[in-house]
Amino acid sequence: MTQNALEIRNMNKAFGANSVLRGIDLDLPAGQITVLMGANGAGKSTLVKIMCGVQAADRGSMLLDGQAYAPDTPHAALRAGIVTVHQSINDGVVTDLDVASNLMLDRIAAGSGLFLRGAKLRAEAREIAKAVGLVATMTQPVALLSLADRQLVAIARALSHDPKILILDEPTSSLSDAEAQRLFTLLEGLRAKGVAILYISHRMSDIRRLADSILCMRDGVISGSFTQVPLDYSGAVRAMLGHEMTEVDITIPARGAPVLELSDLRLRAQSRPFDLTLHANEVVAVVGLVGSGKAQLANTLYGVARPVSGTMRLDGQSYTPKSPAQAIASKVFMAARDRRSNAVIPDFDIGRNFTLPFTRRHSGFADLISRKSEKTLAARMISEMGVKCQSHTDPILSLSGGNQQKVMVGRWMAEEARLLILDEPFQGVDIQARRDIGARIRAQSAGRATLVLVTELDEALEVADRIVVICEGSLKSDRPNREIDVASIMAEVADSPTEAVIERQGA
Amino acid sequence: MISRRILMMTAGAFAFTPSLALAQDAPAPFDNPGDVTVALVRYLSTGDFFQSYLAGVEAQAAALGVNLRVFDSRQDAALQADMVDQAIALGVDGIIIQHGLTESMQDAAQRAVDAGIKVVAFDVNVENAAVPQIEQSDRDLARLALEQAITDNGEAFMAGYVYVPGIAPLDRRDETWREFKARYEGINEVSQFGTLDNPIANSVANQARAVFSANPGIEVVFAPYNEFAKGVMIAAQEAGVADNINIYSADISTADIAMMREPNSPWAATAATNPAVVGEVSVRALALLLAGEDPGEQVVVPPTLITRDMLNDGNITNMEELGEKIPAFLHADVALADWIALPSR
Amino acid sequence: MSVQTRLIDLAIRFGFLLLMAGLLVFFSISAPGFLSPHSAVFVFQSVAITGILALGVTATLVVGGFDLSIGAVATSALMLSAYVMVVWELSAGVAIALCLLMGAGVGLVNGLLIVKARVPDLLATLGMMFLLIGLQRIPTEGRSISTGMTLPDGTVARGTFSELFLMLGRHRIDFFIERLIPLSVIFLLVVALLVWVFLEFTRHGRLMYAIGSNAQAAQLAGVKVERYKIAAYMISGTLASFGGVLLAARLGRGDVASGTNLLLDAVAAALIGFAVLGAGKPNAFGTAIGALFVGVLLQGMTMMNAPYYTQDFIKGAVLVVALVFTFAFTARGSRGA
Repeated sequence: MTQNALEIRNMNKAFGANSVLRGIDLDLPAGQITVLMGANGAGKSTLVKIMCGVQAADRGSMLLDGQAYAPDTPHAALRAGIVTVHQSINDGVVTDLDVASNLMLDRIAAGSGLFLRGAKLRAEAREIAKAVGLVATMTQPVALLSLADRQLVAIARALSHDPKILILDEPTSSLSDAEAQRLFTLLEGLRAKGVAILYISHRMSDIRRLADSILCMRDGVISGSFTQVPLDYSGAVRAMLGHEMTEVDITIPARGAPVLELSDLRLRAQSRPFDLTLHANEVVAVVGLVGSGKAQLANTLYGVARPVSGTMRLDGQSYTPKSPAQAIASKVFMAARDRRSNAVIPDFDIGRNFTLPFTRRHSGFADLISRKSEKTLAARMISEMGVKCQSHTDPILSLSGGNQQKVMVGRWMAEEARLLILDEPFQGVDIQARRDIGARIRAQSAGRATLVLVTELDEALEVADRIVVICEGSLKSDRPNREIDVASIMAEVADSPTEAVIERQGA
Repeated sequence: MISRRILMMTAGAFAFTPSLALAQDAPAPFDNPGDVTVALVRYLSTGDFFQSYLAGVEAQAAALGVNLRVFDSRQDAALQADMVDQAIALGVDGIIIQHGLTESMQDAAQRAVDAGIKVVAFDVNVENAAVPQIEQSDRDLARLALEQAITDNGEAFMAGYVYVPGIAPLDRRDETWREFKARYEGINEVSQFGTLDNPIANSVANQARAVFSANPGIEVVFAPYNEFAKGVMIAAQEAGVADNINIYSADISTADIAMMREPNSPWAATAATNPAVVGEVSVRALALLLAGEDPGEQVVVPPTLITRDMLNDGNITNMEELGEKIPAFLHADVALADWIALPSR
Repeated sequence: MSVQTRLIDLAIRFGFLLLMAGLLVFFSISAPGFLSPHSAVFVFQSVAITGILALGVTATLVVGGFDLSIGAVATSALMLSAYVMVVWELSAGVAIALCLLMGAGVGLVNGLLIVKARVPDLLATLGMMFLLIGLQRIPTEGRSISTGMTLPDGTVARGTFSELFLMLGRHRIDFFIERLIPLSVIFLLVVALLVWVFLEFTRHGRLMYAIGSNAQAAQLAGVKVERYKIAAYMISGTLASFGGVLLAARLGRGDVASGTNLLLDAVAAALIGFAVLGAGKPNAFGTAIGALFVGVLLQGMTMMNAPYYTQDFIKGAVLVVALVFTFAFTARGSRGA
């Protein structure tokens, strides 16, 4: 029985009405690598932020080596022995400084004495670098290092604090295979030294290599905990993506003429080309994890990105949009993912957020906007989408996330589309809003093709006529949404053979 | 930096007929002037005044037959000091320091003197007894303009005054204005204003208009800097009080001449020194020093009074014509010697 | 809404206008001659040029940019118009047309630098500012331009500012009182009205505000972000050059000047405008009020014989108060300038 380095009990955190963590219990045993899996918005990053002192929990307790632990600043967490290597590597290094200064940055920042003693500093830094196998000149600016070496610098810096607990957030997302292997060796060394490691990742290959146990998070709760060797990887994916039998009945309508035809489309240089045809009347869901190529597909269709190769045809005509404006001119609309940065105009009221893409429709002589026409549309969309608000002149930010999302989706429902793309339309919305939005998408789908890109299978099952799985930049399967074998689709999403239970290597 | 234009305000000259001097009996080193090199190290260079000053330096240097090298630090005090060192390293015979900061120029000038180089300084005090100062007399400038104001308007009038403290030449002119106010108790200064906000004339016009509406009785405005005067004149015309007001100022340019000569122009007179003359005097003073003669510790270039009537009577439209019609403006009777040839006119 | 929050809301909306009304009353009582039609017109005229520049910079603020080159564009237009008429001896119409073209061209270059070359707006327009300050001096070797000047090649310029051109800055229109309102004031009012209608009521203005609020989202909603950004800088440059034309018409000569104070006053007016009516964002009406506010202050204080540095101090204080109004009190405070 290993000792727990950190114990979290009944942790809760809410942002306004939005409950992000709902009674999290979590143990990090010393000398073990615990993998934390969770889709976007599951609450992982909030959990990490609380552990490393960036945010405070609303309720709950943490015990570090049996002592109560409640860091009020990142620095306090660091002193207590909890260090974090963030996903974005450049968050962990100062690119303009040299390697030695980076490695010793926390010491320098803590400020003992007025002057920096260069030679002594570099000698100490060299020791630290050696410990992580970083081969670099101490006086080299970090900006000149490769991503992997930068990450090693960030990790080495973390290690210079003698951590009890090391948290790594998707550390391999920008590393090559060889670089990742070097990182794994390093982590295994730390595990042997008794460090408790929390490893956040979606990459099944990493997880298979490293995990001693797996925790899955979903909607702010721990939805699965796997500690028995051999680990049940498929079960973990299922717990992460979740699946409650949906109450939504899907009646697949008669398929219309082909609207969008993709052939030999290659999204990334290394990915396999694929074909996909979307027809009028149908709603197709593309399911894939973060980094599966979902976003790339959406961006390519919407003129934000270009395909590496292959052809796209819309209603039989060659379709090569160079900008969203051109896509819109071809009647291809997209409600973008991550509404706060990609969709919401925070200074605008609800009505103006609705009318943004089609202001021309509401303007007449000298391009003057008709407030009356705008108001009429806003009122119609508010009632159609079921937006809960006082008036269309309310600021958009006064709405809840779900209602904001209704506006963002409704914006594109105001005009007839040939192809409507909805990239993560259910992100950060509550279950009721999700059902409402799904119902609207289906209710208006006649005549156009609709493509919904989601991470969670549930969402696909609720809204789609057809479900397509995307992985590694290419389509993996395509099946109608009836009598779906959830387990097999989950396995495809996680890119692992069904029912395969694989021994952890080298443990 | 507009304040620079103020630094340059000018003085005038007394009537003088250029004497035709002969260079053959010039003292050493001017018996062989082609071997003499002088350097002009400038702090300020942009603007009409500095162009004209440079032209004067060039003309006098050519008349003497000496070589001239021009160093332009473009308002960089440290660079100007480096340039003096460069001139020393080049082995020039004499240096003219044109403007600059006392702090940076003092040591540089001393190094040049130590190297056996003769130095004169224009409008910068290098605090060195071996370095003669070329100066315009700001007090004379103000005095000439104000005496004309008394002549035109009597000893009692309601006055506006344009002044921005902290600018050395304006401060010196201000001393003269105070003396006049003390001497003539009838001068009633009802408003003092002024700004160096760029463009100055525009900003001063905005102020002056407010002043005219607050003080409708103003008869005389003393604006001892031509940009100030221009602004006051614009305001007087806009406020419709041009007929009731006389403006007295300092400095002059072609554009100023045009404004003074406009019908019903309120700009009555200005006192000015010709910057080209100051440039010539600078070179002559340096030449005297090089020849072992003493130009004196201070070489003051006297100003000339230019009135609206003088301009109209002579039908003068630009600076060249001003020099032709008012010879006093074209030459200053200072730092002269028989062996120094004057620039040909 | 409680009484208290309603009061705060009222204070945010009308605080600045009340402050301005208070100032007017104060100056009317303490500065004789302040309360007259002429004095009122003077206020307008003194802010006409900076007001027009401020309306231009407002357009760039709306798209989330900034234009530091407006002062230099104005003084370049001042020099250019003088050069065209005095040296080339061409007509007023040509001078005005060339100035406006120059302004639009500078705006286009600014926009391309920012949008295509991805130079940050402050740096691009700062570079342009220096470039123009230097460029305007090159043709005359740093001399001011006026009739009778000697050119670098030794010839004398014989052209004059045409009467028509000077009218722009000096002509006054009868309005109840004879020769009351200068043309420049009319221009200010017309430009303010046009910019206001454009930004508030046309779809182009709407899309520009969307860009300023969230450019990424606007792009994804099909807004041609790059084009609108370039257009904003072209509006700014054109209005700045128009301000320069009015300046030339007022001064009647081409003065070498950096225009830094024009820039600062214009930016101050636009930023004060954020606070007017609690808008919390750049807006044409606010900018116009901001410019008038500064004009009233300077007029009143000059009439009371306050020296120039106290005026700068007060101007700065007003700006700080306005910014606090904008960023601390309004709901949109979270949005960057």
